[in-house]
Amino acid sequence: MKEKNLPLSVGKWVLLAVILFFLLFPLYWVLVTSFKTNMEAYRATPTFFPDAPTVESYIKLFTENNDFFVYYKNNFIVSGVTALITTCLAILAGYGLSRFHFKWNGLVVAILLSSQMFPVVSRMISLYDLMNKMNLINTLPGLILALTAAMLPFTVMLMSSFFDGVPTAVEEAAYVDGASRLAVLWKIVVPLVKPGMLAVGIYSFLMTWDDYLHCITLIQNDALRTMSAGVAMRYLGELSYDWSLINTISIIGTVPMLLLFFFFQKYMVKGLVAGAVKG
Amino acid sequence: MSTSTAVRQPRMKLKKTTGDQLFSLALIAPTLLVTIVFIIVPVIDSVIKSFTEYKIKNIISGAPGVWNNFENYIKLFQGGKLWPAVAHTLLFVVGVVVAQFVLGMALAVILNTGLKGARFIRSVMMMPWVVPTIISALVWMWIFQPQYGLLKYAVGVFTGGAVSDFAILNDPGTALLGVAIAALWKQVPLTTLLLLSGLQNVPDDMLEAATIDGASRSKKFFAIVIPYMKSVISIVVSMAIIENFKQFPLIWTMTGGGPSESTTTLAILSYREAFVSNNLGSGAAVTTLWMLLMILVVALYRKLFQAEDMN
Amino acid sequence: MKRVLALVLALCLALSLAACGGGNSTSQPSGSTAGGSSSAADAVLSEEITIKFANYALLEDGYTEFWEGVKSGFETQYPNITIEWVTAPYGEITNQVINMAGGGDMVDIMFGELDWIPTLEDAGLTVPVTSVLTEEYLADFYPSVLDSCRVNGEIYGLPMYISPFILYYNKDLFEQAGLDPNTPPTTYDEMLTMAESLSKLTTADGNPVYPFGQTTASVAVSGAALTGMVYNFGGTVLDENGQLATGNQGFKDAFTMLHTLDQKGYNPQNSKLKDLRQLFATGQLAMYYDQSWGFNGVSSINPDAASFTASAPALKGGSGNGASILQGQVLLYMDNGDLQREACRLLTEYMLTEDVLVDYITNITPAYPAKQSMANMELNPVLQGAASSIDNLSSAPFVAAQADLNLELCTLAQAVTVSGTDVDTAIASFEQTASGMLG
Repeated sequence: MKEKNLPLSVGKWVLLAVILFFLLFPLYWVLVTSFKTNMEAYRATPTFFPDAPTVESYIKLFTENNDFFVYYKNNFIVSGVTALITTCLAILAGYGLSRFHFKWNGLVVAILLSSQMFPVVSRMISLYDLMNKMNLINTLPGLILALTAAMLPFTVMLMSSFFDGVPTAVEEAAYVDGASRLAVLWKIVVPLVKPGMLAVGIYSFLMTWDDYLHCITLIQNDALRTMSAGVAMRYLGELSYDWSLINTISIIGTVPMLLLFFFFQKYMVKGLVAGAVKG
Repeated sequence: MSTSTAVRQPRMKLKKTTGDQLFSLALIAPTLLVTIVFIIVPVIDSVIKSFTEYKIKNIISGAPGVWNNFENYIKLFQGGKLWPAVAHTLLFVVGVVVAQFVLGMALAVILNTGLKGARFIRSVMMMPWVVPTIISALVWMWIFQPQYGLLKYAVGVFTGGAVSDFAILNDPGTALLGVAIAALWKQVPLTTLLLLSGLQNVPDDMLEAATIDGASRSKKFFAIVIPYMKSVISIVVSMAIIENFKQFPLIWTMTGGGPSESTTTLAILSYREAFVSNNLGSGAAVTTLWMLLMILVVALYRKLFQAEDMN
Repeated sequence: MKRVLALVLALCLALSLAACGGGNSTSQPSGSTAGGSSSAADAVLSEEITIKFANYALLEDGYTEFWEGVKSGFETQYPNITIEWVTAPYGEITNQVINMAGGGDMVDIMFGELDWIPTLEDAGLTVPVTSVLTEEYLADFYPSVLDSCRVNGEIYGLPMYISPFILYYNKDLFEQAGLDPNTPPTTYDEMLTMAESLSKLTTADGNPVYPFGQTTASVAVSGAALTGMVYNFGGTVLDENGQLATGNQGFKDAFTMLHTLDQKGYNPQNSKLKDLRQLFATGQLAMYYDQSWGFNGVSSINPDAASFTASAPALKGGSGNGASILQGQVLLYMDNGDLQREACRLLTEYMLTEDVLVDYITNITPAYPAKQSMANMELNPVLQGAASSIDNLSSAPFVAAQADLNLELCTLAQAVTVSGTDVDTAIASFEQTASGMLG
């Protein structure tokens, strides 16, 4: 039995190693480069461990260009608030879609599903126009609203599939006991979908952390920019190109997301998975 | 999406319906409002603009576009850029989605075999997924860098120096592949995670029963596991299709659509028409076609998936 | 009448302060501004004014200090005027300014590239510089430089400093290849001969050396560089009326040269200017075309670059005389009323003086001055070699679809290089696309 499985087992390990190498090595490479001097980074025969490790780029980032941390802070605010609002709205709408089946449900689902597909580029001009009329241009609330709109379609569908997975028997019993609809939602159903809430919240946080186009279009004030836009602007300019620094930024820009993910991954994984699997 | 429809309604009393209706409307209203105002209205506005002569002059003066008899569309279809862009988009989407599914499934299956350290691997393999898109573009641009890039060095070593100037993003034949690799890198982890949990939900007793019946490994996989995972697969794949159809920042940062327009997808074309050529009407026409194509592909996919369900 | 006179006098006083010894020519308000806006000229010295200044360079490494210095210096001199920065990435700032204007929020002044003029003019955003600055003030600028900023006869941008595309070369590499480091090539043929020996070099860590760099990646500035190369060969891209005029030998020669360079592996493929700067800085590129301020990008990577860098005028090719086209970083003005225009004038006149600008264009972003009164300023030493090229300029006409046309030129260059299309086929397909564009 064992010998029979040997090739399979070897194949399995090789495949695993290859895929993991593909996923993880680039990150190692960026990390290593961030500790090299520019001149070392540009060698034709790359060094797999820095010859002369230096934290120069980190010092440069923290001292000379510390506006980077303004982008950082803004991104936390924008992503945090967006995640919060998205989660609240997604709970309401998800519950509404899952529990009550009226003729407009089909329409709502169609609107959400199609919204999920519309690319940002296609609505940038009109969105700018609209935001401007509402005096929301160049404000964090404006950016947050636009991002919330972008997050809602997917998260509502996700939440709704969570509710689908919660048995209705408990609720019906509560209705029989005379509980109001809101009380049922708040006291009985919401606690049951906590993993879903966390999943939706963290998912929207991560996705908005990634936003580039909204921020580029809707924000003109450097003090209000978020990270992707700020990085593109300040460090990928036409004039200068500093790969060590860029690699340092990549590391610093990714680490908090990694921490967040590792910290919450239990809920995140459970939530996303439960939502998707039961959908 | 919701399959539990049939299960519950009948026992509800009629007078409850009105209250339910109001309550459900109230629940949905905020989401609907935000979505319509910030997504649907701008999109419709953009579709309208696609039928007009609309340039930056109009933005500045606030003058509405002027109907121009489908000229934006006619020019697009007559010019030589639309069809290559459609082809690149489809190639990119199909290629990335298939590769993503295969790699993700392979990794998920391996991680599901009770491997030592599977939980740990599952955590660390998620890392690329949380790397912001702009940064993942930078990561790969650095690896692909034509003169000091790691890939160039590696290709040089493996070919014994025969190929000493491998620059994946500079060759029109391989540039799209280069971008696709970066896209895969970021997307494979989530696919794996979702598929893995789908695998874990396949009941053991069914597999055991099949083993007792003497079913082979691959038979078990295709006859039991895959059908059982249908809903997960459906979601994973449609998410991937949409995500890659919309892909813009990654391509724009890595290649800007070049070289020789070999990575100009519909996303890039519409951005170029609208914001480089400053012809917003024409850009809107591209996005309109782009959205239609996407809807078509997704619908086709769903249809195929459902058709298979019937068998 | 007396009051008006007093105002004019007050204004003159302010201006001569602002000009900081920049010459008398600045202190005469001309009829065009004095006529309708003498009240503005008065108000500009007392009322609280905020100038919105769109500036992509503000946040790029190495430039912040200069721009913040301009702001604080100017605000100290005119305490009632505040500069408010509007920033966006290089590639996004024109869209940004357009979007803002669409929302009724127009910036007052913008720092940008010469090549952005036609887009912003076509959008109806910029106003001619004559509506902000006086004829006398403008008379100090080189006429050929101002001509490069003309659209339909009107000047739409004011160059702060200028540069043709010049040839930067690495003296150390020339020496290593057994060439005279003080005799750069003057023609493309000479260059090809030298390239042969340069191509055999490697750097200390075994990197190959590219002999010659010309940018071909798809960004608008590469298109400008390619246009410059066409002019080197005596060719044209557009005629005076903005119609496509590529059916000449010079145009074909230029792209044939790119093809040859690529065949021989001399030119790093599909590179942006910043890629070339990086290669040059690390001693992996012996010669390349750039705007003079590209040297800033070189020295930010390798602080020792000044020790091996020299410059030369663009090469002569075919029947051409090596004429180059002008590049410049310009100020563009938008009209938000008399008061704002007056404030922009004060700001412009404050900035474009030797005191404010000289350190910037000698040391930070090497360039040639655009004003004749600054002709005697000390140039950055690396620019000396190419100084004569400022007299050999062709002004390339602008069209509204300039950015698009430039990108098409890049696509053409990529076709004859990375795609391996033959030159005639590639040019034919370029002409088809480009003529549709110019319509």
